[in-house]
Amino acid sequence: MDTVKTAAGAARKRARSEMSIWLTIGRDLRRNKLLYLMVLPVIAYYVIFDYGPMYGLQIAFKDYSPGDGIWGSPWVGFDHFVEFFNSYYFWRLIRNTLLINVYELIFGFPAPIVLALLLNELRRQYFKRIVQTITYLPHFISVVVVVGMLVDFLARDGIVNQLLSSFGIASKSYLSEPEWFRFIYVSSGIWQQVGWSSIIYLAALSNIDPTLYEAAKVDGAGRWKQMLHITIPGIMPTVIILLILKMGSMMSVGSEKILLMYNPLTYDTADVISTFVYRKGILEANYSYTAAVGLFNAVIAFTLLVLSNSISKRVSETKLW
Amino acid sequence: MKNVSRKRWLATGTSALLSVSLVAGCSGSGTGSKTTGKQVVEEPPKLETLTYWVGLAGNVAATLKSFGDMTVYQELQKKTGVKVEFQHPPAGQEKDQFNLMITGKKLPDVIEYGWTGYPGGPEKAIKDKKIIKLNDIIDKHAPNLKKILDANPDWKKQVMTDEGSIYSFPFLRGDDYLLVSNGIALRKDWLEKLNLKMPETLDDWYNVLTAIKKSDPNGNGKPDEIPLLIGKGDMGGAVPFLGSFGVNYDFYHVNGKVSYGPIQPEYKQFLTLMNKWYKEGLLDPDFAVTDSKLKDAKITGNQLFATVMSTGSGIGNYTSLVKNKIPGFKLAAAPFPVVNKGDKKMWSAKTFNFSGAVGAAISTSNTNPEATAKWLDYAYSNEGMMLFNFGVEGVSYKMVNGYPTYTDDIMNPKDLSVAQAMARHVRANFNGPFVQDKRYMEQYAAMPEQKESIRIWSEPTNERKLPLVTPTSDESSKFASIMNDVNTFKDEMFNKFIMGAEPLDNFDKYVKTIEGMGIQEATKIQQAALERYNKR
Repeated sequence: MDTVKTAAGAARKRARSEMSIWLTIGRDLRRNKLLYLMVLPVIAYYVIFDYGPMYGLQIAFKDYSPGDGIWGSPWVGFDHFVEFFNSYYFWRLIRNTLLINVYELIFGFPAPIVLALLLNELRRQYFKRIVQTITYLPHFISVVVVVGMLVDFLARDGIVNQLLSSFGIASKSYLSEPEWFRFIYVSSGIWQQVGWSSIIYLAALSNIDPTLYEAAKVDGAGRWKQMLHITIPGIMPTVIILLILKMGSMMSVGSEKILLMYNPLTYDTADVISTFVYRKGILEANYSYTAAVGLFNAVIAFTLLVLSNSISKRVSETKLW
Repeated sequence: MKNVSRKRWLATGTSALLSVSLVAGCSGSGTGSKTTGKQVVEEPPKLETLTYWVGLAGNVAATLKSFGDMTVYQELQKKTGVKVEFQHPPAGQEKDQFNLMITGKKLPDVIEYGWTGYPGGPEKAIKDKKIIKLNDIIDKHAPNLKKILDANPDWKKQVMTDEGSIYSFPFLRGDDYLLVSNGIALRKDWLEKLNLKMPETLDDWYNVLTAIKKSDPNGNGKPDEIPLLIGKGDMGGAVPFLGSFGVNYDFYHVNGKVSYGPIQPEYKQFLTLMNKWYKEGLLDPDFAVTDSKLKDAKITGNQLFATVMSTGSGIGNYTSLVKNKIPGFKLAAAPFPVVNKGDKKMWSAKTFNFSGAVGAAISTSNTNPEATAKWLDYAYSNEGMMLFNFGVEGVSYKMVNGYPTYTDDIMNPKDLSVAQAMARHVRANFNGPFVQDKRYMEQYAAMPEQKESIRIWSEPTNERKLPLVTPTSDESSKFASIMNDVNTFKDEMFNKFIMGAEPLDNFDKYVKTIEGMGIQEATKIQQAALERYNKR
């Protein structure tokens, strides 16, 4: 919005009363009506699917029953939150949600950056293209199919066990072992998304000024030094922004994949807040209780996001807002 | 269907349409209700169309997209002139869809569901103004059902809530012969091959399973036989081996006193035994993650010796599936295992005439409940019973000496199982708002081993099983929240104890945890519910 137009508008605004803001907006609407039209579906999407449902959040503090409706159900304050904090599964859910995310942060987050850097060093264009295609293809496989493949490959008589048993390792059913769950979840996630996620870094890489490399060469920097002092600093802003966004989603794990992958045997390590909410809320119809759990989750996630943004503001120049 | 169109409009996400749809949505209320000062006329207005929500049974889904394509409903439409629009939730999501649907304002006219699954129970559904209490309507407009309930006071007790409300047009099993349809079965041909007797006690079972494990009854030279497959999913019905110790996997009662099975010392005995069998490889190492498809594969793949199965889709289906593949394949029902010879057999999968509380309820959105009741009542007339159990004469059955005999299309179908072929025409082999006929089962389970299985599985007294009790609507959310935690925990620990991931020495700690979750309170609630039930 910091165009000359609005600057001029702002100058006039100082001269006029409150009404003039609306005049300015009205004028802007007329002037850029096509732009506003283009943004309308996006705004409508958020209003309808994100802001609209917030009205229903109040049931977290009520004893919702379908008969009384959202508005008519009695208030109960923080009862549902207390019930959740005292629940036998509270710590397990928090631990699993955080741990899966920490694993993803440590292993999943750097993977596409490394891949992008490696691809960047390739000199043979056709080979680079082949590698890129191969790595980003899995992104287009639906998660249901991916989990189906995992189930087949990791079954007791699946391909993985057949390979391992030829080395004399006893076969086991990996998807029913809680200690394997996180590894399988995170590594299959990396396999599926690494190529796709590296595209944004490759785009950032192509933005780096080539003269910098030439100058470094003149100064006698090898490939390694160039990467260290030019390439990595060049994509750092992108990395930080994505890292902040990742922090914001620390508390939400893609519940679809876990729902498909887990079973009561692996709840110990696999049951996370979102799957718990699905089971209790949709399957057992504890609407209020799970609304409270979900709200608690959202508050934590929001705090994490704000926190990581402010830390990033202090340590580096990059920030979301 | 205004609410459907409303959803579609919302999805397009344009505010103009949104406002229109809101107007459309509002215009629906206030009309059609009988708020005029006039008295309601005795004869209800003619029913033209009905919306009918019901889960699409798997056997129907195998070949058809909707109940509307079934012979029974095609014929029903001809007879009554009522056009029914079926709404089926996606397979496997019936529960989610139901729970979401009932939070809405505009409901389908008829909702068929297992009503104990309503959050708070069926009485709460009436209090929530989601479905209507049917007592008066049945008295006035459903003479056939009324006659049946009056003639069978026991059934009437089952279809009512504690408060005496009738909430649905029930699925009733019309004969005790229909009450048992699953239990533990084994490969009789393997027994004979190894010269073993049918196991009766737990020790017999141990010896037989060990023999199966050690020899190679399927004769492929590989030790790939799985002696036994049972999981916690079987514990809700047939209670195999756990029932031998006298308790079950849920609440049970001894002479009117309610207790909770999974915290009893008997339950620990069962776990100890299973843990031993698991360690020795007698219990399928994958018992905890074997779903029904895998189980089918293990049986038809000539690997599995014994498991829990049903008469029709178990013994019947498996036998016909492997007819030309496995020579000599023969399944037989095993008697309920006991600890010592001569012990009383206490548990079976025997259900009640009104099982699972499945019934068609009339929702409060229905503008013509009287005529709907009349339409639903047809199924309980003699004509209707024939239609729902056997279909249309000449299409799905023929009368042979006064006995309705299913046609060859059903009994010897091409590329389908009998269950699937039957489900193309009638609802006899799953459920629905009608009375199930014994003569269906006599044909559906016509093989001698099937007839035998019904006899053997009906042996136990089942005296400790709780009747269909319901908590009061005040207690029910408390009860549900206690039991949700308890059930999740007990299911997890069931597997852990048996697989040895949790040493059995920690059983007391496990009991303490469940007690900490409030099992005593839940037991009290069940106790009170049982006492109320007995007073019905």
